[in-house]
Amino acid sequence: MENNITTPPQPQVDKVAFSGKAGEFFGIWIVNLLLSIVTLGIYSAWAKVRTNQYFYGHTRIDQQPFRYLATPLQILKGRIIAVIIFALFFVLSSLSPVFALLLALAFMFASPWLIVQSLKFNLRMTSYRNVRFAFHGDYLGALKYFVLLPLLSVFTLYLAMPWALKKIDHYLCSNISFGGKKLQINTDTSSYYIAALLAVAAMIGLGFVVAIAAFIIGMISAATFGSGFDGDAGLGTLAVLLPVAMFAVYFVGFALSGAVYQSLIRNHLFERTELPGVAKFKSEMQVMPFMWLILTNLLAIIITLGLAYPWAKIRKAAYMASVTTVAVYPGINSLVDEAQQNSNAFGEEAAGLFDVDVSLA
Amino acid sequence: MHSSVTVRGQFQHSGSSSLYAAELVLGADGQLSVRCHSSGEQLAQAAPADYRFGTVIPGLPVELRLRDGAVFVPDDSRYRWPQLSKGAGMAERLESHKMSILAAIVLSPLLLWWIIVDLMPMLAGAAVPWVPDSVKQQMGRQTFYSLQQTALAPTELPAAEQAMVRYHWQMTLQQLQLEQQQYRLHLFKSDFFGANAFALPDGTVVMTDQLVSLLKDNPDAILAVLLHEIGHVEGQHSVRLIAQSLGATLVIGIVFGNPEGVADLLLGSGSVLLQNAFSRDMEREADQFAIAKLTALGKSPQAFADAMSALLASHGGDNEQTSALLKYLSTHPDTRERIEQASQP
Repeated sequence: MENNITTPPQPQVDKVAFSGKAGEFFGIWIVNLLLSIVTLGIYSAWAKVRTNQYFYGHTRIDQQPFRYLATPLQILKGRIIAVIIFALFFVLSSLSPVFALLLALAFMFASPWLIVQSLKFNLRMTSYRNVRFAFHGDYLGALKYFVLLPLLSVFTLYLAMPWALKKIDHYLCSNISFGGKKLQINTDTSSYYIAALLAVAAMIGLGFVVAIAAFIIGMISAATFGSGFDGDAGLGTLAVLLPVAMFAVYFVGFALSGAVYQSLIRNHLFERTELPGVAKFKSEMQVMPFMWLILTNLLAIIITLGLAYPWAKIRKAAYMASVTTVAVYPGINSLVDEAQQNSNAFGEEAAGLFDVDVSLA
Repeated sequence: MHSSVTVRGQFQHSGSSSLYAAELVLGADGQLSVRCHSSGEQLAQAAPADYRFGTVIPGLPVELRLRDGAVFVPDDSRYRWPQLSKGAGMAERLESHKMSILAAIVLSPLLLWWIIVDLMPMLAGAAVPWVPDSVKQQMGRQTFYSLQQTALAPTELPAAEQAMVRYHWQMTLQQLQLEQQQYRLHLFKSDFFGANAFALPDGTVVMTDQLVSLLKDNPDAILAVLLHEIGHVEGQHSVRLIAQSLGATLVIGIVFGNPEGVADLLLGSGSVLLQNAFSRDMEREADQFAIAKLTALGKSPQAFADAMSALLASHGGDNEQTSALLKYLSTHPDTRERIEQASQP
């Protein structure tokens, strides 16, 4: 038997390794894209499974990869249901505004169920060292954390939003288990407020910089166009450039505040989460490198008309892995997944109709 | 039958995280046995019906799964089992072959373009006759009701002008032999819409006071606008637009899956652009309907151009051609293009 350790538990501390290659994944992506188009979307279920298997299989902790276990037919079933629901929603809500309002209300109450269903499915279809993950949340919990708390925080002028986000993260993490052991999480409300404040501050700071820059450019252009004969020509160019510039600023602002919030929260969340006796986590994301990654990824996708998408996806996965460290304790060697031992691994037994992830993506 | 193979790899029992360095022997008869590499202990044994190969993915080893949930993974990620069926490795061969990748790069955008630009509108057009009349009635009534509550106020036009518009409306319906009951004209004052007119799928046509005032000296121009709106109803444009937008949204959503964050934004704006493109096509169709019917009624198509010019002038009439960028953001074709269309002999 390998890793037969009897000394007091010493963790094996390792960075998460990601070995996916952009060139290799490009082939997978583009061929699957063509097959999905040719089959009018049916093959997209196979494409999703292959893509997930590629990324899971290339993500390793302590030399062991993750595995994605869902079968294409399960995904296809979920997609067909999702397409029907989506089409019904789309058609019914365009029939009448009153209908649309009722449907939005119905969707609000159905969404927690869909979220829980999706989390259960996706975690159950994820395994590490032949042991599956699981999600234990229920409808009422999801309704409380995904609908009621965000709704209530609107009435506090979003002042309670960071607290609500902390509650949501707590709900998600504390309901995840691996090999029968639940994740333990102990996050601080203050960390969420600090992250939110910094994200807003970054946005406002950027707004100031842009306003000053716009003022200077405005002065210069006024001086140039004002003296010319054909003032309209300048205005025409401005009318084109302005929406483009606004979009760019909006996007950079969005990326910046997103990068601030995400890195701070992920770092905090990983620090305060552990799988008792099995693993501890550490995340060392930095705002600037992460924002640079997101912006350059987007730019590359735009410039190549989408062809850089596989490269961008691989690049992001590699970055996320490189800033994540996991300390694995010897307890990992003796985990037993009881649910799995009693079932047929080929999934030939009839699964429930709703044993699916109802999702278009 | 294949000859017997021996493969080094890693074995795990069902639902257990313990790892074994192991050797798997797959006999010529398909019988499988796994032995622990260090102790030589037999870990598993299975007949062909009780094991399966995993998916073949470029760059990853192909695992072998036992019915009870145990897994064997070859150490060499490039190892491909000779027992794999031809079809099992097909996807991998396509995904890593230069020619198929090249073909996919060329064909994917072309096919996607064709589906969205040709196939979707065609399917939508074919589906529209199947939409029951009662649904269209319902759509029209509901939308009309909401608009009345929010954006429309009772007309303040002098009785003479109202009568003039209604006279043209009645004449048009009669002369074109359209079903009288299907169409209803309403006049409203609307600060929200300004000088405008629109049609609902049930045959309700609304014209604003502002538009009537703008065109009151040129009754033929009013007629042209009415014909344009009738064109929308006759072409069942509302229902077709819904069908096309739904189709395009589904195609994009399914084919591109969930491209995290960044590309989402692009696809989102992409579908808005598409919807606007569909809308522009339908406006052109309604324009052509109006121009053709004007000729049929013995009027000059110039009346349509007059209506458009008057609208253009009332909107401030910027002298520049609409910029290329804004053109794609608009739900209507460029007004000058529409005027030229009508002014052609």
